[in-house]
Amino acid sequence: MTNDVLIMRGVTREYAVGGPFAKKKTLKALRGIDLTVSRGQTLGLVGESGCGKSTLAKILLGVEEPTAGIVLVDGRPLNSYDRLERAKLIQPVFQDPYSSLNPRMTVEAIISAPLAVRGVGTRVSRRKRVEELAAEVGLPRHLVDAYPSQLSGGQRQRVAIARALIGEPKILICDEPTSALDVSVQSQILNLLHRLKQELNLTMILISHNLAVVHHLADEVAVMYLGQIVERGPSEEIFERPHHPYTDALLKAVLIPRPGSRLPDLGLQAEFPSPVNPPSGCAFHPRCPYAQADCSRIAPATRGERRSYRCHYPLNLAEASLTSAAS
Amino acid sequence: MRGEPILEVKGLQVEIPVEGAVLRPVRGVDLSVSRGETVAVVGESGCGKSLTALAIMGLLPRAARYTCERITLKGEALTNASPRRWRQLRGDRIAMIFQDPMTALDPCYRIGDQMREILQQHRRISSQAARERSLELLRKVGIPSPEERLSQFPHQLSGGLRQRVMIAMALLCEPELIIADEPTTALDVTIQAQILRLLREIQRDTGIGLILITHDLGVVAGMADRIVVMYGGEVVEVGACDDVLSRPLHPYTEGLMRSIPVPGQTKRGDLLGFIPGIVPRQVGERTRCGFIDRCPYAVESCATGPVPLSAVGNGREVRCAIPAEKRDPQAWNRLAEAS
Repeated sequence: MTNDVLIMRGVTREYAVGGPFAKKKTLKALRGIDLTVSRGQTLGLVGESGCGKSTLAKILLGVEEPTAGIVLVDGRPLNSYDRLERAKLIQPVFQDPYSSLNPRMTVEAIISAPLAVRGVGTRVSRRKRVEELAAEVGLPRHLVDAYPSQLSGGQRQRVAIARALIGEPKILICDEPTSALDVSVQSQILNLLHRLKQELNLTMILISHNLAVVHHLADEVAVMYLGQIVERGPSEEIFERPHHPYTDALLKAVLIPRPGSRLPDLGLQAEFPSPVNPPSGCAFHPRCPYAQADCSRIAPATRGERRSYRCHYPLNLAEASLTSAAS
Repeated sequence: MRGEPILEVKGLQVEIPVEGAVLRPVRGVDLSVSRGETVAVVGESGCGKSLTALAIMGLLPRAARYTCERITLKGEALTNASPRRWRQLRGDRIAMIFQDPMTALDPCYRIGDQMREILQQHRRISSQAARERSLELLRKVGIPSPEERLSQFPHQLSGGLRQRVMIAMALLCEPELIIADEPTTALDVTIQAQILRLLREIQRDTGIGLILITHDLGVVAGMADRIVVMYGGEVVEVGACDDVLSRPLHPYTEGLMRSIPVPGQTKRGDLLGFIPGIVPRQVGERTRCGFIDRCPYAVESCATGPVPLSAVGNGREVRCAIPAEKRDPQAWNRLAEAS
């Protein structure tokens, strides 16, 4: 067995859309995702709404089945685990801590639920574990008996993180973990996630549209566009030398809160295309400022292994690697 | 270099009676915008920035009461203006762009009808002329095939297009002032940049005054001429955009700036600053500094009375009793490490 906790091969997910009065169409939310995540790594998944990042999370959580392709977790297909086993492997932290916590359960009941459903330990031992974890995620002890409505947004997100961690999952999926929080609180949750990641050697999949957040936490970054991964690589390299024009545009779109910063001109044409009717060739070509004639005809294949991209005319490539990539 | 003032608000207060208490989410806010100027009102949830905007627009929820020492629009005193006068002004001389265009547009009416309604409310204009004016503006905000859009419903448009429609609607009657409440928060990052550039261009062309309400200091840096920072219903800091960003004077603004990870400046896993505690419930009179419970510099004298907003030169104002040179430079670091 290797160090790869998560392996996805050719994962595709299609939905039939169109109501009783409209023609049925196929929406390809994911179009052949290949992804490997090693133990202890944090993968940042970046992209705009409609790019399929949430569908990917749903597949990992077992909420959705892929239409095609395989997902291996710890060397075994994901669908060979039963529900409780899967919950032990993979746990989510959702975006909105106001709707993801049951308002009628106390914080203790929420955090200990993953143990309780599996019948792990006694009530007393679970309580002890909850108190340990509450301390670990920085939740004041007296709040363990409170209800979510008595907590602030940041405290709720700490509860959500503690609940996800109590079963000691192999993979933590954070779907926009800080987007619903104020900036001054967001930074506390980022500090917490980074500390937990190091202390517990967590494998984390961080889904976010906020590149500053991804830059802050992720070791590796995968950029998604219209159901495909268009670029992938170590975080520093992606941020310093993006190869795909879409990644480049995303990076330029980060507004820096420093004096004298300008509104960026992304040079992007048109708007995000419909996943029901994706463009021919390279899916990005209608918006790409560097598109050539053949981009609309031939879909670029993935080039490179550890640092991969899908583009006919990649940016920031050294001459040498450009010729080797073309050969 | 500031032009003639368009809007001046002085001593704006909002009170909301709740069970057994009176919430005071806005406590004496002063705000002014000049021609062609962008004023960013910055703060986190609960600081009163949105209620300030709604109060200026006369769109407060029914339970809320508002008082204002003075509010003038281009010299016209509106402090005691009738609801009828407000209806004439709204959409005509002051327009608003809301955060979520899906809830701000009426889902049951076609785009064209919604635009025509605004024009016919304020101008004596034929339907044909209204249609032409609507088309002109949809083109101006960069909407492809505008004729088609006029007969479409809001749900048929993407988020970015809807926000463009909102902007076009705000511009229909050539207002003097636009209040934009988090205009790009609901949009994707690449669309956000486009919409902000569009707003900026339109403002340059027409000299409209813009009040931009946002929590995102990145948006502020790219757009604003002046920044008004709000906390707990009060203005805590005012100044030119670059000044405030490069040298924040209020501890709250400092804390905000330290909380934001910036690619290229902060490194992966850097310990980020933060502001401890939470925003307190805004009830009762101020008897001490509103930020005292979360401030790393707070001393005893901060609790003796409310802190006034004082001018510190260069067009800057700050509501803090501790001058910058008397602050402990290590206070924030100690806080972060203690967490």
